[in-house]
Formats: sequence, structure tokens, C-alpha cells
Amino acid sequence: MKIQATELCKKFNRSVSDGGNKKRSRQEEFLAVNHVSLSVQGGEILGVLGPNGAGKTTLLRMLGKLMKPTSGTVSVIDDSTADTDPVEMTDDIAVKRYIGYLSENTKLYNRLSVREMLRTIAEIYGLDPEATEKRIDQISEVLRLQGFIDNRIERLSTGQKQRASIARCLVHSPQIYIFDEPTLGLDILSSEAIIEFMKSERDRGCGVLYSTHYMEEAQYLCDRIVMIYQGRIVAEGTPRGLMEQTGTENLRETFRAVITQTEQKAAEEKGQESTSAEDKKDDDGEGRV
Amino acid sequence: MNKKIVKALYRKEILDILRDKKTILMMIVVPLILYPLIFMFSMYLSTSMIKASTSKSYRVSVQDTEEPAVLKQYILDGQEKHQYEFIFVDSYVENRDSEEALRQKEVDAYVTQSVSENRPYYEIGYLASETDSTTAAGMLKDMLSDYKNDMRDKILEEKGLDSDEVLSPINFALKDFSTKEENAGYIFGYIVPFLLITSILMGAMYPAIDTTAGEKERGTLETLLTLPVKNLELITAKFMATSTVAVAAALLNLLSMGIMVFYLMGSTEAVGQGLGIDLFSYIPALFITLLCVLVFAMFASGVCLCACIYARSFKEAQNYTTPVMLVFMMGGMAGMIPSLRLDGTTALIPVINITLLIAELFKFHFELPQIAMVLVSNLAYAGIAVVLMARLFSSENILFGDAAASLHLMEARKDMKEKQIPGIGDVVLLFSILLIVMLFGGSLAVAKWGLYGLFVEQGAMLACVLGYSWYMKADMPKVFHLRKPRPVAVIASILMICGSYLIIQVIGGLLTSAFPSLSTENTEMLVSLWENKPLWLLVLAVAVVPPICEEFVFRGFLMGALEHKYKPVTTVVACGFLFGLYHMSIMQTIVIGLVGIVLSYVAWKEQCIWLSILMHALNNLTSLLIQQYEEPITKKLPFLAEETISFGVGAGMIGCGVVLLALGFVILQKRKTDRG
Repeated sequence: MKIQATELCKKFNRSVSDGGNKKRSRQEEFLAVNHVSLSVQGGEILGVLGPNGAGKTTLLRMLGKLMKPTSGTVSVIDDSTADTDPVEMTDDIAVKRYIGYLSENTKLYNRLSVREMLRTIAEIYGLDPEATEKRIDQISEVLRLQGFIDNRIERLSTGQKQRASIARCLVHSPQIYIFDEPTLGLDILSSEAIIEFMKSERDRGCGVLYSTHYMEEAQYLCDRIVMIYQGRIVAEGTPRGLMEQTGTENLRETFRAVITQTEQKAAEEKGQESTSAEDKKDDDGEGRV
Repeated sequence: MNKKIVKALYRKEILDILRDKKTILMMIVVPLILYPLIFMFSMYLSTSMIKASTSKSYRVSVQDTEEPAVLKQYILDGQEKHQYEFIFVDSYVENRDSEEALRQKEVDAYVTQSVSENRPYYEIGYLASETDSTTAAGMLKDMLSDYKNDMRDKILEEKGLDSDEVLSPINFALKDFSTKEENAGYIFGYIVPFLLITSILMGAMYPAIDTTAGEKERGTLETLLTLPVKNLELITAKFMATSTVAVAAALLNLLSMGIMVFYLMGSTEAVGQGLGIDLFSYIPALFITLLCVLVFAMFASGVCLCACIYARSFKEAQNYTTPVMLVFMMGGMAGMIPSLRLDGTTALIPVINITLLIAELFKFHFELPQIAMVLVSNLAYAGIAVVLMARLFSSENILFGDAAASLHLMEARKDMKEKQIPGIGDVVLLFSILLIVMLFGGSLAVAKWGLYGLFVEQGAMLACVLGYSWYMKADMPKVFHLRKPRPVAVIASILMICGSYLIIQVIGGLLTSAFPSLSTENTEMLVSLWENKPLWLLVLAVAVVPPICEEFVFRGFLMGALEHKYKPVTTVVACGFLFGLYHMSIMQTIVIGLVGIVLSYVAWKEQCIWLSILMHALNNLTSLLIQQYEEPITKKLPFLAEETISFGVGAGMIGCGVVLLALGFVILQKRKTDRG
């Protein structure tokens, strides 16, 4: 099973201040995600790295079918059976059935207990009551939820809540995971639990798409990495390959080098554009004279 | 729609809502504990006040220079009759000012005597700002009144006259044929709708806020979106949960009110003043009221959810629901407006229809068509709200961003892009503004200035639409379809409006004969405005101004917004139906709705509002001329004078109508082939 994004674009409106006057602003369209294509195979972890505002969350939301792309497609391809042709699914509801999505914005229902929440989700995915209870017991054991599974979520600690969140993604046994900064703000133990979980799911043959700001974590965990800057993919490859390309020793330095290179390139292009525009203006001026 | 998913979501919503302290407080604590407590406390307060006032002694002073003993004796005798007790304080009168004595609370009230017009003139001095003083003065007034009557009888007797004969040369009495149940129902009819509407709204408001803005604020909405759930399933579950809580709140309120009524009856019977009302006679009314509660809870939930869906936080949602609450409460008081009755028009006006229906039910007036209209219209409005919300909910502006940005009125004009197209949010907002302008401003203007008020009403409507479009920097030629008409399309339009006119005459005739109660009061009101007015003014008021103003609203702004979101068929039908609905009568909704569809089709097809204005004007002008020159016309075409259209004439009219419509349709199609 793999997830594939082809030429994804997402356009948003943003307010741009008009000159020095803060009160005066105008609406402007911009591409938060700009023609991004990528795919994640079963059994691999793809890291999505980028500075704040690079478009990571928007990209992951489109991949999770929470948001509609302005153009481009997201599909889940079932290539698990070698005898038959791969089946491609693009329908939102069908795709969601294969995806477990977790981000810092996907909060839990505080007034329900973990068990009540898991039951509701299982029912939505169409599991029968018997299978639901069995699945909840399994998840509870794997994620060590037994101590608090019947407590209301509002009474749980941050780490317990994060485990409950992972449990939420696991109910329907997804084949692909999309995790948007899952370890953000967690202590070392909770982070390690999540990292181990992602590794174990990869080893089980699931695909994991994962965004983070923690470079060490990404270096340790990811099989492949895409770096995003201003909505575009600016670097792609294995952590080792990227480090070799940039001549750096760790992913943190690689990230800095890639972003610096991209910014320099962009500045050069802008400089060239403005020079050619000025030249053109001068030419025009001469022409007129 | 997957029922299992809706069920799972519904269960989750209910569990979530019922564990919210605010909802529980509004739903259970207020009706079941607070209301009875307030009621019992006020009962206790009033009875104890009455008891205290009668059992208390009041200090009074009687200054009667001529006959102090007689008046005092009267007061002493009266004490027993009226169960009062007075203590006479006389000492101050000689040496102190009476007002000061009152203010110092040495006396509660006093009586002085002087002579005016050769008769004794008694003055009761008291302080209206003091309860004891007011009570004492009231008691003294009763006694002086007794004294006056006895003196009068005595004088008449001395003159050998019968006081009854002299003072009551004729007798009369009112005979009330209404039963005690009807009388009580009349009062219930005022109170019950208001209380029910308020309690349903209170019950719906908090869950509506909690399941929309609350969910957004708590960050669980995005969690929900990760699940394989369709928007309609999500909204249906939220709508059902909100409605359930609203119904439960209303039922608890009804129960609470019922218990209070029984308590009141029990306590009054115990003191020997039994009202003698047979409460079981209200069972049919209560049964239909329960149905009203159900459908109204759905309607209220729909409205509250629609209002809250734009809000980003609980607080913001509360701001949005406050005007809804005010409008609902005003509607809940509609039963108190004497001239407002339940008819074909009012049965379609939300909130007011439920208020008037419940008032009628408690007066034992059961009109089945009206009951059906009220119930069905509320269900329809709730259904429209759900579908609208499911559409709105798919908007990413609402889910992830600044929802208010989808309403152009919420942005500063200077920040607006040029040449915008209104969205569905804009349509909903503009129509809400128009509804308020029409219901309050428009009807007031018509009531005050008659026919000229119609111009004001229509002008205000046009001003709202153009103002909104100007503010949002709308692409005016595109939104209002300001394309120049093709000559051939003008011919097609005239043919089509003639065809539709013939067809709706037959349909209207059939509907009137089948449902005479549906014949509109709107028309009667309009006709009364027309009386004794010059023809040119009527033409202006009927066939010029409304076609222009209404077309700019329906075939302009509304169509301009809808055609960018929906398929042509949906756009044309919706514009036509809403145009019919705007005439606020079930009959006109059908008949004018059909004309509206034809107008919408032509305007959409040709992207030209001038054609629909022309058709609208011709339609109205024909109706006006037929109404004005009924006699000469029916002389020439006698079949028009017949009350019911005969089959032959009806079939002929329909046939001609269809041919004309088809002809127009074909002419309009020709453009496509020319271009192709």
C-alpha cells in the first residue's frame, strides 16, 4: 500500500500590508504548497522537514484528505497483491479508511473516556462490537493504556493523552500513517514511545509520513527525507545522501545548508529579474529618446 | 448517508453534551429547580405579603372637626368587615405637622376633614413610596367609600326615595359564553408559546455552540475530519443531538410548568377558591403542542447551528446567537398582538407561526390545514438549514481559517479585492437583512403611507442589495447580469411570459377551488391599497418599481451567487422557489414560484436581467389591468368571469401556455446552435 501525491498545489489568500501603513492592507493570493509530488511506500518512513510556514501542515492535511488541493491529486494505491493490478483510490472517504492521521491540531474529546472515544471511532469505521472490544484490548496492551482507559480524557497527563491520540489512529489498523509533529512538546519518554511506535509500524509494513522540527529525531528515524521551503520541495533523498550532497555531518547542518542555498538562489534570481527589468526599462527609455 | 455513522456520531455528541456542565445547568437545573423555586418563592412572598398586610396594625389619625366620633366608629366597625386593624394616634394633630408625622413614621396614614362646595371633604394623607402607608391609605379609602355610600343611602331614605331605583335606573350584565377552560386557554395561549420558545432556544443554543464553535475551539473538529465521515452525516448527527437536547429542555420546562399549574390549582382549591378547570380538556392541544415542540426544536437547532458555524470560539458564537435569541423572543410574543392571526401567510413565518398556532390550540381552535402548514413549514426550514450547513461545512474557510472572511460584510472595504462574486454566506446574510427590513421597516412603511410605503419598501430592498454589492466590490455586470438583450430574446421572453401567465392562471384557479382557505390575504391587502388611486401610480407601484427591485434581488444578486456554486437547474429552481417564498403565502409560493422559474431561466440563459424585468413587468401589468378593467374584459371574454375554470377552457389555456413557452424556449436555444 502506498500514498502518492501528484503536482499538489494549494492556494490561499493572505493580507499583505500596503506600504508602511499597517492599517492599510490588501488581499493577495499565494501558493502555500507549490506543485509537490511525492510518494510513500509501505515499510518506509518519509520525513517532511521545513521551517515554520513552509507548507508542511497544509501538505499533510491534503494528503490526509482533510483539505482539498487547488490542483493535483492524492491517491492511495493498493499494490499488496502481486497477481492483480494495483488499485488506485482517490475518493476522500475511501482514502481516509487507509490513513491514520495525527497532528497537534487533532485533539481528543475531553469529556469522553479513552474507551468511549475508541468505541465511537471503531463504530464509524464500521467495526462490529465484538471486533471493536478485541481491537481496543490489543491497542490498550500495545500502548499500555490499561491504567487509564476508562478515565475521562480531561483527567489524563500530556503523555497519556498522546498515547490515547495514537490509539485513536490505530483503531482501524491503517496502512499509512500521517504524523504532523507528533513529538512536539513531549518529554523524552513520551517522545521515545512515539518514535518506537513509528518504527514498529514501519517494520510491520506500513508507510509513515512524518513532519518534525527535531532534526536528530528525523536523522535517526527516517528512511527518506523531503525538505520543503515556501511550498516547494527543495531537497529530497536519504538522510545520508543529503548529508553527502551538502558536505555536512548531521541533518541539522544539512537543513541549514539547504535553506541557505535556496535563499541565496532565490535572491540571485530576484536580482537577475530586477536587473533585466531595469535593463528593459533603460532600453525602452533609450528607444523612446 | 451511512446511518451507522450518524448513529455513532449522534451518540458521541449526546454523551459529550450531557457531560457539559453549562448544558446541564441550562437544561435541567433552570427548568426543574430554578423555575419552581422562583415560582414558589414568589407565591410565598405574595401570600405572606397579603397575610402580613391584613394581620398588621396600622397607625392612623383621624382629624374630624365636625363628627369625629361617627367617622371613627365607622372605621372601627369597618375593621371587622375588612379584617383590618388600626391604632388611632391623635396626639400629633394638635401640635405637629401631619406630613412630618408621616415622614417620621409616627403615623401610616391620616384623614383630615374640611369643607368643599358646601360638603364635607375628607383627605387621606399618605406616602406612596412606603408600603405600609399605601396599604393603610387603601384601607381608609375603602372605609370612607363605605361611609359615603351609607350617607347617600341615608339621605335618599330621608327623602323617601329608593336608593336602588334612583341610582340604578337601568341594569345590565355581561354574559360570557366562553367556558372556564377557554378563558384559561386564552391566558395559556399567551404564556405557553413564549415560555416554550424561550426554553427550546435555551436548550438548543448551548449544544449548538458546543458542537460547532466549541468543537473548533477545543481542536476536536480536525480529529473528526480525519475520519471517513461525509459532511451531511456530520451535520445530521450534530443537528439531531442539538434537537434532542432542545426537545428534552422544552419537555422538562413543560413538565415543570405543569407541576406548577397543578400546585397552583391544588393550593387555590385548598383555600376554597377552586378554579374548576378540567385540565384533561387540554389534552388534544397539549398533544399538538408537543408536535410543535418537536418541529420547532428542529427549526431552532438548525438556526442556532447555522449561526454558530461561522464562529471561531464559544464567545464569538454567543455573540452570534444573541440576535437570534432576541428575534425568537420577539416572535414568541406575537400572540399578544391582537391583529395578528394565524392564516396562510403567518403560517409560513417562522417562530410567529408556532406562537400563533399554540395560542389557537389552547383556545380550542383546531384547523387541520393550518396545523399541517405550520408543522411542515418548520420541518422544511429545518431541512433547508441542514442542507445549507452541510454545504457551508465543507468550506475550508469555516474549518481551518477565518470563517468570517467568507462573509464579505465582515471585511473592511479597503481590503476587498476588485470584482468579487458573492458567496452563499453573503446570500444568507443579505436575505436575513432583507427579511428584517421587509418585516419591520417595509410593513411599517406600508401601514403608514399606504401605496407610497410600497415604494419605500421596494427602494429599501434595492438599496440593501446595491449597497452590499458596492461594499464587497462585486463584479456588477456579472453578478447582476447586465448584458444587453438580443432582439430575438425579447420576443422569446414575451412569448414565454404569456405562456406562463396562462398556465399559472389555471393552476391558481385550481388551487383556489381546492383549498379556499389558501386564497391569499396579501392580494386583498394590495387591492385595498389600490382603491381610488390614478392608473399611472398603480402602474408605477405594480408593474415598474417591484419588477426592477425584485429582479435585482432574485435574478441579480441571488442568481449571481448561486450560479457560481450550483448546477444551472438548481440555480434556476432555487431562484424561482425563493422568489415565490418571498411573497409569504403558500399559494403564491407555488404560483409565483413557477413564474419565478421561467424568469430565472431566461435571465440565466441570456445572462440578462433586463429580459426578466420586462417579463416581470408584463406579468404584473396584465394582472393589474385585468383587476382594473374587470367589467369590459369579462364582457368580451365571459369565461374569465366564471368562478371555476371549466375543463375545456383550462385545457385550452394550458395548451396555449405550453406552446408559447416551448416556442420561446426554442428561440432561446437557437443561440447555442448559431454559436456552435
